[in-house]
Amino acid sequence: MGGFLLRKAGAALIVVFCASIVVFAGVRALPGGPAQALGGENRDPSVVAAINHAYGLDRPLPVQYVKWIGHALRGDLGLDSRQLPVAHTIVTRIPITLELAFLAVLIGTVIGVVAGVVAAVRRGKASDHAATATALVGLSVPHFWLGLMMIIAFAVDLQWLPAGGYVSFGAHPIQNLEHMVMPAIVLGTGLSAVLMRQTRSAMLNSLGADYVRTARAKGLSEWAVIGKHALRNSLITVTTVVGLQLGALISGAVITEQIFVIPGFGRLTLEAINQRDYTLLQGVVLVAATGYVVVNLLVDVVYSLLNPRIRVSGSTAA
Amino acid sequence: MSYVDTAAATINPRARRRRLLRKRFLRRPLAVIGLVVALVFILAAIFAPVIAPYSAGTTDFNALLAHSSRHHLLGTDELGRDVFSRILWGARASIEAGVLATLLAMAFAVPIGIVAGYYRGWVDAVIARLTDVLLAFPFLIVAVGLAAILGPSLTNATIALGIGAAPALIRVARGEALALREEDYVRAAVANGASDVRILTRHVLPNMLSTLIVQATVAIPAAIIGEAVLSFLGLGVQPPTPSWGVMLADAQSYLSGAPQLAIYPGIAIFLCSLSFNLLGDGLRDVFDPRTTR
Repeated sequence: MGGFLLRKAGAALIVVFCASIVVFAGVRALPGGPAQALGGENRDPSVVAAINHAYGLDRPLPVQYVKWIGHALRGDLGLDSRQLPVAHTIVTRIPITLELAFLAVLIGTVIGVVAGVVAAVRRGKASDHAATATALVGLSVPHFWLGLMMIIAFAVDLQWLPAGGYVSFGAHPIQNLEHMVMPAIVLGTGLSAVLMRQTRSAMLNSLGADYVRTARAKGLSEWAVIGKHALRNSLITVTTVVGLQLGALISGAVITEQIFVIPGFGRLTLEAINQRDYTLLQGVVLVAATGYVVVNLLVDVVYSLLNPRIRVSGSTAA
Repeated sequence: MSYVDTAAATINPRARRRRLLRKRFLRRPLAVIGLVVALVFILAAIFAPVIAPYSAGTTDFNALLAHSSRHHLLGTDELGRDVFSRILWGARASIEAGVLATLLAMAFAVPIGIVAGYYRGWVDAVIARLTDVLLAFPFLIVAVGLAAILGPSLTNATIALGIGAAPALIRVARGEALALREEDYVRAAVANGASDVRILTRHVLPNMLSTLIVQATVAIPAAIIGEAVLSFLGLGVQPPTPSWGVMLADAQSYLSGAPQLAIYPGIAIFLCSLSFNLLGDGLRDVFDPRTTR
């Protein structure tokens, strides 16, 4: 297993390296370049040249890259247009999004896996059809629209929940959850729909497998057969799917935070683009890409713990 | 002569397979409904100038935020623009983004995936890493970056959606190529001295077509929703051009006073993407060799 994880970690490093080059190149491709963005309205060539020199932008690109990535590795992502350290801004915003993502994954996984298992076990019955149809609806419905509908229903009409905003968990746990429940459901529905379909088909495969028949023949209770044998093997699929859905989760967090006015990492991304704050944007994109790779690596760890074939032989199943 | 032709047609395995697939497809009412509704949306997008009662920008200041009526089937928005007409016009952006983003992703992903799966080895490893790099940039982040570099527009949103859809397609094409290269007919072609290009285009690609069609039908609704998201955030279609996402963004200011403005465009997105998803699910069953019905 050590070898497998080491290989995965090496691959992740390469991916982060390539991603950092993409981000770096992207910022260099900005219209007018960073110097004009910093100089604002002042387009005087001598000012631009001075800024270029001051920031080392007249040096060769590889030199600039090494300098930039060196700073980034030490946690220095530069100053945004308000002269605030980008790294600090990102660090204060990330916990909010992590809470949202955690709740969304929790809701999505519980609903998705339970519905998938029920649908597979009761294949062809009414509950299977209901779960399958709901999942199809969940896949087709635009989640941000679902968010708007929930605001109309629960915030405007019934006035049960706040329409938006954020209260930190430390300051007021109950209010925090009141603000988080709708966004988490909105972000979790897409995941639950995908998970339900994957869990269902994985469970159908496991339930037809020999080891399940053996388990039944041993006289194990139906619950033990489903829970300990079929589901455990289906969880391998579930982990993979959660990992693959991370990108969708990041995109989803941006729009969910926008609708519910949550000052998290996703909203920061939009602020960066709306204010044309390129240093901030660069930092945000770099952190998002790195975060994606790191979480995927964690998914691989969980995957190897769940999958005995990888644990024992250390061979790649990819 | 005609007698021989008919005989050939009944034996012709391709025609037989086509007939079998059509029969299987028609036995799936949900898939047929999906196809019909998807076609309705596509036709609405093409013929919006003919069908729509009003142009997308026509304002009626005597009917601001009006409810449904004879004059305005789904009411009007805050500028007195006919919501039904704007939904018809908005279908253009959605269908365009959905179809073009998928085609773009296919054109980019399928050759790469085939090469990775067919040649394996270091080519495969390099492509796998590049796919991972692509995956690390979710479509919204790509769209944000493109909007920063090139400015927000439907074209850039479509490119972002295409890039976003590519990694999954690369993996599917790779997996198919990996399996197909072991087929006897590929080995026979190799033994006959066929060039790699010929093998890939004549044997590998045609045999993964059904899988690719299913993937495309699933990628289109994802891109349609993606376009709505990007336009909603101001990263896609720019107002006053109508788009379902733009309509929802405008409606956000009137959630308590005129919730219907937020409801109709959402239903349009939902029905449009549901129709493609139903079609995709149906096609998957139809093409699945394990399907007996």
